[in-house]
Amino acid sequence: MAAEVKPLTSAELYSAHEEDPREQLMHDPRPRQELNDMVMEAMTTTSKRYWIAVGILVVLVAVCFLGAWGNMIATGIGLAGVRRPVFWGIFIVTFVFWIGISHAGTFVSAILRVFKAEFRRPFTRAAELMTTFGLAAGAMYPLIHLGRVWVFYWMIPYPNQRWLWPNFRSPLVWDFLAITTYLLSSTIYLFLPLIPDLAMARDRTTGIRHFFYKVLSLGWRGTEAEWFRIRKAINIFAFAIIPVMFSVHTIVSWDFAVGQVAGWNSTIFGPYFIIGAILSGVSAVITILFVLRSTMKHMDYFIRPEHFDSLGKLLLIFSFAWAYFFFNDYIVTWYGGYETVRAVLTMHATGPAAWVWYTMLICNIVIPWLTLWNKRIRRTPWVMFIITLLINVGMYMERVTIVPLTLGHQRSPFDWGEYVPRITEVSIAFGTLCLFMLLYLLASRLIPLIPVWEVREGQAAHTLRKVGKTTIPSVSELD
Amino acid sequence: MKTEKVHLALFAEDQIDQAAEAIERLRKFGIPDQNISVISSVPYSEKILGRPMSWTRIPLIAISGAVVGFLVSLLLSFGTPLLYPMTVGGLPLLAIPTSIVVTFELTMLGLLISTFIGVFVETISPSFGPKGYHKSISDGSIGVLFICPLECDERMHASLVELGARLEHYAEEKLWL
Repeated sequence: MAAEVKPLTSAELYSAHEEDPREQLMHDPRPRQELNDMVMEAMTTTSKRYWIAVGILVVLVAVCFLGAWGNMIATGIGLAGVRRPVFWGIFIVTFVFWIGISHAGTFVSAILRVFKAEFRRPFTRAAELMTTFGLAAGAMYPLIHLGRVWVFYWMIPYPNQRWLWPNFRSPLVWDFLAITTYLLSSTIYLFLPLIPDLAMARDRTTGIRHFFYKVLSLGWRGTEAEWFRIRKAINIFAFAIIPVMFSVHTIVSWDFAVGQVAGWNSTIFGPYFIIGAILSGVSAVITILFVLRSTMKHMDYFIRPEHFDSLGKLLLIFSFAWAYFFFNDYIVTWYGGYETVRAVLTMHATGPAAWVWYTMLICNIVIPWLTLWNKRIRRTPWVMFIITLLINVGMYMERVTIVPLTLGHQRSPFDWGEYVPRITEVSIAFGTLCLFMLLYLLASRLIPLIPVWEVREGQAAHTLRKVGKTTIPSVSELD
Repeated sequence: MKTEKVHLALFAEDQIDQAAEAIERLRKFGIPDQNISVISSVPYSEKILGRPMSWTRIPLIAISGAVVGFLVSLLLSFGTPLLYPMTVGGLPLLAIPTSIVVTFELTMLGLLISTFIGVFVETISPSFGPKGYHKSISDGSIGVLFICPLECDERMHASLVELGARLEHYAEEKLWL
C-alpha cells in the first residue's frame, strides 16, 4: 500500500528547516530612493533622548577623562597605582583593549570583503568607524602612560640638536609606526567606500550639511571611471590592510614578548593576541549593532537577526580559536618546568586576584560555548548584546591577567606585590570609553552609517531561484 | 559656433538592459565610445553595459608609494645609525631582524597613502568625455551621457525614448570646490 504524502506549503517548508530567504536583507529589496530616505532620516533625526545622551557623555568625558588626566598631569603620575613591582597597569591594559577592539573594522570589512561574505554589506561602515575611534582612544594611552606628557615629542622620530637619531629598531618605535600606519590606513579605508554615500547625502541636503558633504564627496558623480577607480582602491586597501592589522597587534604583543619577563616571553603571543583582538572586536561590532538597531530609525530593516546569526557563528569559532591559543600558551609554559613561570601561572589561578583569571575563562569560553551553538540565541539581538558585552569583559580581564597580574609575581618573591588600580586610572579608562561612545554618537548623525550603495549592489546581485519545489537564494557577481 | 551638445538619457533603476541597449544604439548612430559615459549609483561593470574597459594608474601609483616607503624605511633603519654610530658592546650597529618591522610598516604606509593620493588626484583631475549629473542618479537612475552633433538630435531622442529614457538637457552644476 502506497503511503500518502502531503506536500508542504512554502511556509511549512521554511518553518520546518530554515528561515524564509525573503526575510534576508539581500532578498528584501527596496527602491534605491527609499533606501536613501531611510538612511538620511536615521542620520538627520535627533531626538531629545539623543541630545541628553550627548550631554551626559560630554560631561563624563570632561570630568572623568580630561579632568582626571589633567589632574594627573598637574599632580604627577604618582596618582596612578603603578609602583614597584608593577609599572604597567590599567593604562597599558586599556591601551591593548582598544587596539584589540580596533581590529573589528578590518576583520569585518576587509577580510569578509576579500572572501565575498555577503552578509557583511550593511554593517561594514559601523565596524570601520569602530576601528577608527577605537584606535584614536587607544593611541592616547602611550601619552597618558607617559606621565610627563609635555615631552611626548621625544617619542617622535626626529634628530635632536646633537644629531642623535632615535633608535628606529626599538619596540617603542615599532608601536609608534604600527599604530600610525593602522590609524591612517583604517581612516582612509573608512573614507573611500563612504564617498558615493556622501554624494548621496550631498544631493539631499542644504546649507552647512550640503557644503560638508560636497567637500568630502570630491565631486562624485558615479561615472564608470569613478566606480572603477574606487573599487580598485578599495580592493588594494582590503588586501593590504589585512597584513597591517595582523602586524599591529603582533607588535603590541611584542611589547611584552620581547622582554625577559616570566610569563611574557612567549613565541605564541603574536597570534594569541590577534585572535583575542578579533574575538573582542567582533563582539564589540555585535554590541554596537544592537545599540544602533535599537536606537536609530529604520535600522531594523538593514540590521537583521541573520546578521547577528552570522556574526555569532564567527564569534563561536574565534572563541574556540582563542581557547586553543590560550591553552597552547599555558600548557607549554606549565609543562616546561621553569619555576618562575609556573609560579606566575599558579598565582593567576590561586592568588588573591584569581577571580580575574576565572572571569576571563568564564566569559571567553564557558559563556560563548554554552550559548552560541544555539541558532535561536544567535538570532536574538538582546541576548547577543549581553553575551558580547560579557566577552569583552572577559577580554579586558585577559589583559589584566597578562599585564599587572603577571608583573606582580616575577623572579624574586621578596619583590612580589599586588596591583590595585587607583581612582584616577579607573576614571581615565572609563573616560575613554565615554569618549569612544560620544564620537560614535556624533558620527552617527554626520555620516551615513549604512553603506547604501553596497547594500543596493548586493540586492541587485541576489535573486531567488525556483529549484524543484522550493525557492533558493542565488547570488551572481556583478563585477 | 558650438556644433555639439551634451545629452543625458535617464533610465529607471530596473532598466539596466535598456541602458545597455541605448549605448548600443548610440554607437550605431556613429557616436564614439569616448563621447558616451554612464553614471549610476551602483557600480555596473563594463561587461554589463557593453562598454570598453576603464583604466586607472592607481595600482602603479600604489606600487610607487610602496617603493618610496621601503626606501625611507631603509634610510631610517640603516642610515640613521650610520649618521651617528653608537656602538654598544655585543650588539650590532645594523640589525636586520629588528629593521624588518620598520621596513614592513613604512612600505605598507607608503602603499596605502599613495593609493589614496592616487584616488584623490585622479578624481579631481579634469576628465575627457561628456560631463553632467542629475540628482536622480543618487536615487537609483541610470544615466547615459553622450555628446552628439546638433543635427542628429531628433532621431536619436526618439530612439532612446522608445527604450524608456527620460532625456535631460541641463546646465552642469559645480559639484566640488
